[in-house]
Amino acid sequence: MKAPYIANLVSRRRFLQGAGVMLALPFLESFRPLFARAPQGNLPRRLLAISNNLGFVPKTFFPEKGGKDYALSPTLTPFEDIKNELSVFSGMSHPDVKGGHSADNCFLTAARGPAKSGFRNSISLDQYAIEKLGQLTRFPTLNLGVNIDKANRSMSWTRDGALLPAEDSALAVFRRMFLQGDADAMKKRIKALDERSSILDVLLDHTKKLERELGQEDRSRLDQYLTSVREVEERLSTSRTWELREKPGTKFSAPEDIQDKKRIFEKLELMLQMACLAFESDSTRIVTLMVDTFSTPAFNIGEGVITTEGYHGLSHHSQEPAKLRQLEEADKKQMQILANLLRRLMDTQENGHRLLDQTAIVYGTNMGDANRHDNTNLPIIVAGGGMKHGAYHALGSGNEVPLCNLFVSILQSLGIDEDVFGSSKGSLNHLLLA
Amino acid sequence: MKLLASPAKMFRVVLWQGVFKWGGLSLAMSSVAWGQDVKSQVASQIESHCMDCHDEDTHKGGLDFNKVALNLGDRKNREKWIRVYDRVKNGEMPPRSQDLGQSERLALLKMLDGLILPTDRTDVAQNGRAPIRRLCRDEYQQNLRDILHLPHLDILAMLPEDREGHRFNKTADMLDMSRVQLDAYLDSADFALRLALGSKDPALERKSKRIVGTDLFPFTETFGQRQAMFFARENRAIEWGPLLKENKNAVADAATDETIEMALFRSASWPYYGVPKGFKAPQDGNYKVRISARAVLQQPGYTFVPAKAPVPMTFRVRKPTGVDIINEVHADGGILDIQPTQQNYETILHFKQGEFLEYSLLGLPMPIAMNPNNAGQVFRYPPFPEGGQPGIAFQWMEVEGPLSEESWPAPSQRVLFDDLGLVPNPEEPKKEAWRLLKRFVQRAAREPVEDEELQRFEALIEIQLSKGESFQEAMLSGYKAFLASSRFVYLREPGGIHDQYAIASRLSHFLTNSRPDAPLVDFARNGRLRDPLILQQEANRLMGSTAFDSFVRLFTDYWLNLRFIRRDDPDIRLYPEYRFDEYLVESMERETRTFFAAMLRENLPVTTLVDSNFVYANDRLAKHYELPALTGATLQKVALPENSPWGGLLTQGAILKVSTDGTRSSPIIRGAWVMERLLGVPPPPPPVSVPAVEPDTRGAKSIRELLALHTKEESCANCHAKFDPVGLALENFDVLGGWRTRYRELGGSDRVKGIDRAGHNFEYALGTAIDAAGTLATGESFHNIHDLKTILLNNPRQLASNLVNQFVIYATGAPIRYSERSELETILDSCKTNGYLCGDLMLAFIKSRIFTGELQPNHYTQTNYESPLHR
Repeated sequence: MKAPYIANLVSRRRFLQGAGVMLALPFLESFRPLFARAPQGNLPRRLLAISNNLGFVPKTFFPEKGGKDYALSPTLTPFEDIKNELSVFSGMSHPDVKGGHSADNCFLTAARGPAKSGFRNSISLDQYAIEKLGQLTRFPTLNLGVNIDKANRSMSWTRDGALLPAEDSALAVFRRMFLQGDADAMKKRIKALDERSSILDVLLDHTKKLERELGQEDRSRLDQYLTSVREVEERLSTSRTWELREKPGTKFSAPEDIQDKKRIFEKLELMLQMACLAFESDSTRIVTLMVDTFSTPAFNIGEGVITTEGYHGLSHHSQEPAKLRQLEEADKKQMQILANLLRRLMDTQENGHRLLDQTAIVYGTNMGDANRHDNTNLPIIVAGGGMKHGAYHALGSGNEVPLCNLFVSILQSLGIDEDVFGSSKGSLNHLLLA
Repeated sequence: MKLLASPAKMFRVVLWQGVFKWGGLSLAMSSVAWGQDVKSQVASQIESHCMDCHDEDTHKGGLDFNKVALNLGDRKNREKWIRVYDRVKNGEMPPRSQDLGQSERLALLKMLDGLILPTDRTDVAQNGRAPIRRLCRDEYQQNLRDILHLPHLDILAMLPEDREGHRFNKTADMLDMSRVQLDAYLDSADFALRLALGSKDPALERKSKRIVGTDLFPFTETFGQRQAMFFARENRAIEWGPLLKENKNAVADAATDETIEMALFRSASWPYYGVPKGFKAPQDGNYKVRISARAVLQQPGYTFVPAKAPVPMTFRVRKPTGVDIINEVHADGGILDIQPTQQNYETILHFKQGEFLEYSLLGLPMPIAMNPNNAGQVFRYPPFPEGGQPGIAFQWMEVEGPLSEESWPAPSQRVLFDDLGLVPNPEEPKKEAWRLLKRFVQRAAREPVEDEELQRFEALIEIQLSKGESFQEAMLSGYKAFLASSRFVYLREPGGIHDQYAIASRLSHFLTNSRPDAPLVDFARNGRLRDPLILQQEANRLMGSTAFDSFVRLFTDYWLNLRFIRRDDPDIRLYPEYRFDEYLVESMERETRTFFAAMLRENLPVTTLVDSNFVYANDRLAKHYELPALTGATLQKVALPENSPWGGLLTQGAILKVSTDGTRSSPIIRGAWVMERLLGVPPPPPPVSVPAVEPDTRGAKSIRELLALHTKEESCANCHAKFDPVGLALENFDVLGGWRTRYRELGGSDRVKGIDRAGHNFEYALGTAIDAAGTLATGESFHNIHDLKTILLNNPRQLASNLVNQFVIYATGAPIRYSERSELETILDSCKTNGYLCGDLMLAFIKSRIFTGELQPNHYTQTNYESPLHR
């Protein structure tokens, strides 16, 4: 009989080992299947965007003074030894993205007015990047979630505002990346893909005909259907190519899913492991991850310690010291997890480069201050991606700089030659380029 | 009208009128003159009464009238003006009501109505009240179940969960289409079709197995040791020690001993592995399980006597995994009340291949495994109740199955290939393909599909055949395509007087989450569904059918959030008595669904939402609601004692559980929950404008003091006064709806200690006494829940109006439109005399034009329409 797993304090060692994962630190080489294009000169560029939809306590998150020689705030102390690997930002927000919790679906889209009636979301940064980059990997993107209300929340949205559901099972992600079917299964899947392609032709044709009978509003709904058909079609040929290729091997064994929402930080670590495995095996180059703290009940905050109430309740701390203490603890724990992730990516080499330098990481939130549902002055951390780090950029009191300026710089770090995204008015290249 | 002097304001007037003039161009030509005159008047009224706060400088609440054109043809603009209308009508705006006199207010409202109403009505007539709506995943599954004759089809997990809009997962605007959704439709249709294809005749596999003696349980004791389970002979535990010394196979040898009973005294919860040996489902299907059992009371020394009351149990079907992974276990076959005298019981369970069954006794203790990380587990079984520990002694079990369909090939196979058999190989494939396709689509589609449309799917089948696919596979491709086609996955608005099929579909998806059945389709074909009598008769028929359970489940899942009944575990530090009490939660859920179904089917007054002189209770709920003891798990309708705080949906355990978070009940959250869901008054969203309020409740020691701080800040007080008070009246109910007179806390001196039902020590403190008094925003005050109920009962029309509004969203995919408000009043009027009976409300809504669609587009025009709101 197996005993219930009891959470330990987050340690770097455990992060490297992971739950149910074994052996030594993997290097990219161990994943490299025979067929893969050996990266020559043009190393892959990657993005990992994480959002905690209740944010952090501003007072303990933001350092006191901006600049290169800033003193780490209490929440940021886990970065003590790697301070130069990250940039901290205040003073950014998405213009007109107000409405408290409804803003959480706009973190990567910047679509205006999420609380207004008739609101439609717009394309998210990850999907936009894929439109520009094409589908270079087995999975164009991975959209992950921790404790996420999959029906209603996601980081990832299509161009016409449909939600792309997040995956909250680490095991499912692992299987998709590494589980190899036999030759028969592969043949079957290829056949199924071919069949699907024929079906899609009919669906497209049929719906176009149907559309002519409808009014304008109905037509715009059917346009979504038509777009979906075309997008499935586009992806089929890529899927087919990848289906014919062997999946990468892995030294890791399949992880065990954590169901218990209380173990939010272990779940976060596990999902970040999957993100790392995905990067290291080049299964994808873009990962989004929403930590849905809004949907998190009272949770483990230390050995055998459970918070006095759910995350959302805590976030409305109303300055009560007992609540603030627990929240600050939770904030710091996430920073420890992020710091461990950065160290892992620093230690992993890809053709002589640190994987971290090939991977832009954004850890942020749509919530500037959850206590008062404020969506301005967002706390944002950026690391890796070959950008210049080591400073705290205090960009103002909240509304001055669109967060999309950062996203433009991120897109460029991915090798995408665009200087506009969402509500951007420029970029942050002047701060992030060496 | 006030005259304005300041030049700045004059300038604004001009600007603003400029906007509305531009907007006015889209109004119908005949009403331009009239419209322009009214518009100027509205403009000047707004100018004098609203612009102080809502101009480009101040724009309180984000509203700047300079930016809101009086262009009612534009939907978004119209919605803004409807909000203006409502706030003025409700007296919320202007904030000081004396700023707009009663006659001026009515005049302004009348003018606004005159502008909004015709445009909205025309919009509904031309575009329908909502766009076409994609099936939600529950509907998609139910449609496939019914089309393919697969009542147990389970494809929910293959389909993305649908977004919520206006609290339901059936809202047209939220039911987007994406590549993920389309792939999921194709994958799940493929899965369902292959399941329908089936394999062998289950009759060939049918087996019967009798399990007795030591095969009735995997071990001779279980987690929790002997108090939790033992084998017995003549009411006394068998001592295996000496027997095993003599014969090391003693236990195995006793596997055929019919004189042995297996006695079980614990709930099925981790860690547990209560499965009989030797049965595993050889293939998917229904199985008959028969048992012989009696309820007993365990006495000290591992003996037992007949029980005094029945003990409820159910069987769980589980996957072949380890000791317990809760997600892989599901209850099935209903609840059996095991009586104290030995009897036989029978139930039907549905298994997937490889699954097996597990005993699940309800409401019993759960021994604690102590120190489970170290070697040697120690268990503690909680103290027995007075008279002994209830449990069940089993004598034998028989499992038989899979039960065969009545005919072979099975109905699901006949849907696909008629009588051609499992692997059809017709002589004229083209001709047969056409015949079968037509037959399938006729069944699956909700209306006639023309040959021309069908030919596209036929072409697909031909392509597949030409690629060398088998006839069977090629047909499945055609079916699959149809099940993922826009014809199938979208529901449309009834469009005009001849459109009967859309009404049939709306009715069936409303009341059964599925396609119209044969009689309903017949009425549509014969054009009878605009006959109110026929419509009512069909609605009554569906409400009386078992398919209506699907409505009750999904509607309460979303309206009342019952799908989250297990979301928050009660905090066992404060509520140890609820530790692992799944039976209570399960009973509460069943209670609320049963109660709601009765409100409709038995046509109870809408006030039963708030109060009733009866409850549905079983043994566990009787305890929870402090009623005289009941026996058995089945819910019984029982009268409440005078002055019971329970009765009515409002105070049911399930409602009080889902409206709080398990640790502390918050009157704020509960108040907002009740106001929105039961009374139809949603709290306005928290303030988003700058400067945002910085909530600061430091120093508040009690919930009262906390609420007092809310009212200190004006911007908080305005809204919180509308919902906090209702929550206060519910403070006497704990996180699971149990009655309390004092709060519980972790610290504190008045301590309560003991061992809970799961063997854990507990200790908490009793805190301050509960004060459930308050004053509603309307000025009515109450001392407790009884008073609050009395106040709410005084306004049945509000309850009725909210219920109909919920029906409208669920059935039509969009909330009530402005131009339908008068229709809503008509519905309510028609139900008034009888005291707003819930079934009546549902039927009146179904017969209304909100449900059946606009009859004559453009019937109402500016000149001949008088709004009933201003009669």
